Amino acid sequence: MGTTVTLVKESPLPTRKARSAAPAAGKRRGRRENLAGYLFMSPWIAGFLLLTAGPMVASLYFAFTDYNLFNSPKWIGFDNFTKMFDDPRWQKSVEVTAKYVVIGTPLKLLLALGVALLLAQSRRGQAFYRAAFYAPSLIGASVSIAFVWRSIFSDDAVVDRTMALFGVHSGGWVGDPDWILYCLVALAVWQFGAPMVIFLAGLKQVPKELYEAAAMDGAGPFRRFWSITLPMISPVLFFNVLLETIHSFQIFGSAYVVSNASCGPADATLVYTCYLYQQGFKNAQMGFASAMAWMLLLAVALVTAVLFWSQKKWVHYEEDAR
Amino acid sequence: MASGNIERRTILKAAGASAAALGLAATTGCGGDSGTSADGTVTIRYSWWGAEERQKRISQSIRLFEKKFPKIKVKTDFQDYVAFWEKFQTQAAGGNPPDVFQNAVGFLRKYDKRGILLDLKSQIDAGNLSTRNFREGVLSVGQVDGKQLGVPVGSNTMALVIDKKIFRKAGVTPAPGWTWDDYFKALKTIHDRTKVPGDTGYFSIMYLYDLYLRQNGKAFFTKDGLGFDKADLTEWWQDGYNRVKAGIITDPKTVAQDRPKSSVTAKHGASEFTWDNFTVRYTAEGDSEYGLAPIPTTDGKNTGQYLASLMLSASARTKHPKEVAQFIDFMVHDPEVGKIMGYDRGILATTDQYAAFKPSDPVAREIAKYEEDTAKAGVLGTITPHPSGADTVEAAFLRIAGDMSLGKYKVADAVKQFFDESEAAFQA
Repeated sequence: MGTTVTLVKESPLPTRKARSAAPAAGKRRGRRENLAGYLFMSPWIAGFLLLTAGPMVASLYFAFTDYNLFNSPKWIGFDNFTKMFDDPRWQKSVEVTAKYVVIGTPLKLLLALGVALLLAQSRRGQAFYRAAFYAPSLIGASVSIAFVWRSIFSDDAVVDRTMALFGVHSGGWVGDPDWILYCLVALAVWQFGAPMVIFLAGLKQVPKELYEAAAMDGAGPFRRFWSITLPMISPVLFFNVLLETIHSFQIFGSAYVVSNASCGPADATLVYTCYLYQQGFKNAQMGFASAMAWMLLLAVALVTAVLFWSQKKWVHYEEDAR
Repeated sequence: MASGNIERRTILKAAGASAAALGLAATTGCGGDSGTSADGTVTIRYSWWGAEERQKRISQSIRLFEKKFPKIKVKTDFQDYVAFWEKFQTQAAGGNPPDVFQNAVGFLRKYDKRGILLDLKSQIDAGNLSTRNFREGVLSVGQVDGKQLGVPVGSNTMALVIDKKIFRKAGVTPAPGWTWDDYFKALKTIHDRTKVPGDTGYFSIMYLYDLYLRQNGKAFFTKDGLGFDKADLTEWWQDGYNRVKAGIITDPKTVAQDRPKSSVTAKHGASEFTWDNFTVRYTAEGDSEYGLAPIPTTDGKNTGQYLASLMLSASARTKHPKEVAQFIDFMVHDPEVGKIMGYDRGILATTDQYAAFKPSDPVAREIAKYEEDTAKAGVLGTITPHPSGADTVEAAFLRIAGDMSLGKYKVADAVKQFFDESEAAFQA
């Protein structure tokens, strides 16, 4: 994920002088440049049309059909959608995903903000710490890390033994339907580096004089955080909440690997996309799976809309102050 | 931009770059590289499921084949069982299944119904594939409605794989004809004396429940549905759940953690019902001594067993049916291949290979003896049909029984869920 974005404003070409000298040639050149531009974009456009837009349209159609990959799709209207609500496993997958999003996202953001606050102060070795805390974000999504996770949370492995020192013997989280989801939450929280970097950038933007003035007026550190830092970084916080929430809804890889491709035990890690995958690619219920995908899109859109609506209440943009 | 001439070059470069990118995309399209090259060499794709051990044996066999048929090249790929069928389904749906692939009885009707399987009769009639010298009753496992959809490479049967060391320590000796009561008493003895649960979850294995039903005059499947009712399954799963609670069966949490290893080889269980040829795998996976024991019975004699088999099937869309048939023929008849493959995929299906392979290691000898004894005991029946969707039903049976045994679902709810999912699977 890119963390710094540089926008360069280019001066419009060709210049007015050139245009007045040879208007026809300029127009032609402009068209040519456009053509060159589209040609440069064409691999992306082709990819977008063939690999993204096309399949999306197809899946919208399949969502309203009975389609097992081999037959020709049979139109069944909204049956797939109504079937969903009667399906106990679908309900379970919604429950698991909601739990994961609601527990995991705030924890991750809290940790990211906490560490960002610590790292915002200048000290020796700052660059090293930042890199070290960011590193898990780079490797965390990989399959091999999920494998490592599976083994450190197993019976009698590192986590189990460490907890046993404190008198808690869990017998391993990976095989226990009541615990395994927290293993996934821990994996997500551990990758707090990306939102942390964004928080850090936000913290750097807060004007120093605000803190100085507040300190002069006798505001303690907590008061300064609550009344200055939080409002000043609220746009960044909003951005992080939005991004991480959407991201959490899409969890698949870690659930799939940590549960050894079963999304179990007892469907404890049956996250939404995992059930979608099982229906589509194991049970060949591609119509149902497509309907599920569009349902997820609707849900994420709804949550996003609510977040955008809520920002009026708590996000503070500097323009408002003027 | 400095000069007007640059644009043309720019355009050309852009065009070139995008053409290159598209060309690249076209050549890296997944998989389907079977075809004929300029010198007439034919390449066929062969996919199968299994592990490292099988991979070594198969590539050795293919080297022999390519030496004998220099104009045919065989490209292979393999996954584990579950991943294999996911990939296969997607490839087949995309019109790009492998030319030849490993198959099992639970998939024949499903893919026949979808028009994926080649009826090998035509190749047999053309003389490219011989059906001579198959051991008795084996060839018919690959037949559905008069079509030869698969050619067996080896026969296997459900068995009880045991950790011999634990059984010896507990002083338990399984005997032919022992009953379910004897068996469950043995599990308790093992647990009492060695602290190891006796079994890893018999109640979740579809093929074992099939045997139990066959002992009682039913079967797991009919031609197009389930051959038992909700009351039957409720009893089977309720008993299983009680036995997990009693500690004589491995805690399902542990079973989940041990995967993909078997809980027997992870030393968390003393025995497990599975296919007899899996002893080869268990021996490679664990460090105890593994052997085979008879299936418990209801009436003191009938085990309900039958010979099943792994087989080779061909795609109905293959462009090289002749070469594929020659390949299958070689793989099932060539004595050298028999020596290389051993009993990895079951007891060798043809007498050509069966006679050539002299098992020297104790595991292979035990498997051979087991099937011999089973045949001699006269308990082998004929295989009952497996309708389309049997594979999905098997997976659902395993998953739902596991969930039930964790105490997450009431037995009645689990049974209902299983019947609902089975219904959907048969219709898919």
